[in-house]
Amino acid sequence: MIDIHLYGKLRRFAPNGDPDSDSIVSVPHRDGDTVGSVTARLGIPDADLGANLFVDGRYADRRTPVRDGARVGLFPDDMQLLYKWYFRPPETGS
Amino acid sequence: MERILRINMTSRTASFEPVPEAYRNRAGRWMTSSIVHDEVPATCHPLGPNNKVVFSPGIVTGTASPTSSRISVGGKSPLTGGIKEANAGAGWGRRLARLGIRAVVVEGQAKEKGWWLLKIDAKGAALEPAEAWTGKRLSDVYPALFARFGGREKVDICAVGVAGEFRMAAAGVCFNDQEGRPSRYAGRGGLGAVLGSKGLKAIVVDDSGAKEVPLADKILFDQGRKKLAAALGEHAITKPKGALNSYGTAVLVNILNEAGGLPTRNFREGRFEGASKIAGEAIFAGNKTRTGAEVYNHACSPGCVIRCSNTWHRPDGSEHTSCIEYESDWAFGADCGIDNLDDIAELCLLCNDYGLDTIEIGGTLAVAADGGAWRFGDGKRAIELVHEIGKGSPLGRILGSGAVVTGRAFGVSRVPHVKGQNMPAYEPRAIKGIGMTYAVSTMGADHTSGYTIAPEILGVSGKLDPLNPDKAELARNFQYATAFVDSTGHCLFIAFAILDIASGFEGTVEECNGVLGTKWTMDDVGRIGKEILDLERDFNRKAGFTALDDRLPEFMRSEPLPPHNTVWDVADRELDRVFAS
Repeated sequence: MIDIHLYGKLRRFAPNGDPDSDSIVSVPHRDGDTVGSVTARLGIPDADLGANLFVDGRYADRRTPVRDGARVGLFPDDMQLLYKWYFRPPETGS
Repeated sequence: MERILRINMTSRTASFEPVPEAYRNRAGRWMTSSIVHDEVPATCHPLGPNNKVVFSPGIVTGTASPTSSRISVGGKSPLTGGIKEANAGAGWGRRLARLGIRAVVVEGQAKEKGWWLLKIDAKGAALEPAEAWTGKRLSDVYPALFARFGGREKVDICAVGVAGEFRMAAAGVCFNDQEGRPSRYAGRGGLGAVLGSKGLKAIVVDDSGAKEVPLADKILFDQGRKKLAAALGEHAITKPKGALNSYGTAVLVNILNEAGGLPTRNFREGRFEGASKIAGEAIFAGNKTRTGAEVYNHACSPGCVIRCSNTWHRPDGSEHTSCIEYESDWAFGADCGIDNLDDIAELCLLCNDYGLDTIEIGGTLAVAADGGAWRFGDGKRAIELVHEIGKGSPLGRILGSGAVVTGRAFGVSRVPHVKGQNMPAYEPRAIKGIGMTYAVSTMGADHTSGYTIAPEILGVSGKLDPLNPDKAELARNFQYATAFVDSTGHCLFIAFAILDIASGFEGTVEECNGVLGTKWTMDDVGRIGKEILDLERDFNRKAGFTALDDRLPEFMRSEPLPPHNTVWDVADRELDRVFAS
């Protein structure tokens, strides 16, 4: 399974969309899953996604692979307050 | 003609002098750091007669430029022992700029015990006794001062609270917001204690009869300001009902938590289980429930179009406090293990009323909890402890001295600071780039000293791939760009828009040229930033700082931070390279 934590206007895709709680939706893992494939299965429009996407707490984008058991955190386009320049590139890890 | 106002607290005299030719284009942080560098002996005691407090509005402050009402405050910091510039958004600096005053320099020290208030207006400047305003909460002092000096429409106020009167190293300098609340702080580094050491309680500015700020080239200025306004109005973060306007800076609580970089319980963990309960979304939802309406954020200062300052309301719908910024929310929330917004709001209110820096005090309480003084998460006890600071009790004096002193008093080795200043709300073990900024900043651990602007836009460093940056070069250029923005009078948050929209950045430079008559290009941004940082680094060098002070605390190299379980592993030589060239 993959646990997807949703924020802002993306919370509507979770069973519990309360803004002062954790809005989590769990989906079964499939081989080759990426952030993009998972959001597509949930029906989240690409246009709603910002640049603050995380896989296991690491800065990610739509192409980032998602393993079984991963935690994915997705913020919408109007909430991307954290700069990507703060992070090391994904290849070298943090 | 623009002037510098010099207030000598030893002789209790005020005098005006022309802005020296060398300072002709300097304002904001560029001005405060220039005067501190040139006039304050670097080895002086920060609370002695040789230190100075310098106020300077930015280059475009007082004009019609959007989001440009920042006031810089500088001096030698009693918290770090190095140079300090802290800035706030407030109408106070606008009035100063409209009076043609580019800087106010407060120097000397009252010989006999006593408190003074400085009144500045179109006729000049004069000191009057201020004993009556001391020993009180600022939410009582400000309304009384407004009543005494003609009302909120006529004047703006700068003051220190009891923390400044006690000369505590965590004391900030308070300015009122547009509603008159004592809530906008040049908070960091203890400059409130320096004003207190001089016997100066408050500065009231009345700009009645002042002329507009003169523009060297109005057409160019208008062209620049319109480009910037368009960028701010268009960008998803800064536009009306965008992220900052809707959720405030506290939207970052959830983001940093997801990134595993939200320092929790004195920097023991990178995620806080109560994050969702205290984040910007929870504030918005809670206000809606309690007031029955959607409460969008307001402007902290005149002319701000971003409008990110929030309020928090009590269960009966009445206002509790303004503002719960991300940093304050985190400092009293995640860092103290408190997940109750009403407790966090009360702690913010108390800091505003006693005249304290919320980041330093939240961090200090966390260190004290690590030392067994109280239990993480006990919000009611945290409130009692901040009251101790307000009373000036022996325990309060220790806490009001900041995290490092408190760590010593309680025998704590985990004190997350650089150069004596407690770290803000970004964990450097999870976010290495900000860790480099903390380490090498002239200000001590400071998230705002290198928060912004991609180097490829600035063009000061050649070509950089943002996804594979040379960290040293990146940290350096971030700091140069920030020093420039801190000198324009703009809020650092314009960076969100001008980072993504090049015409907005162009507009910012054009506005400055329109005011000053200069011919700066984008390349000058890096040059000016370097000049400012060079002055600050030179001051710190003379004050005794070496490369060994550009380091993060030892425990971060050995204690892995969950959930990433990483340590701080940036090599010292990489830190030393930041300003090596």
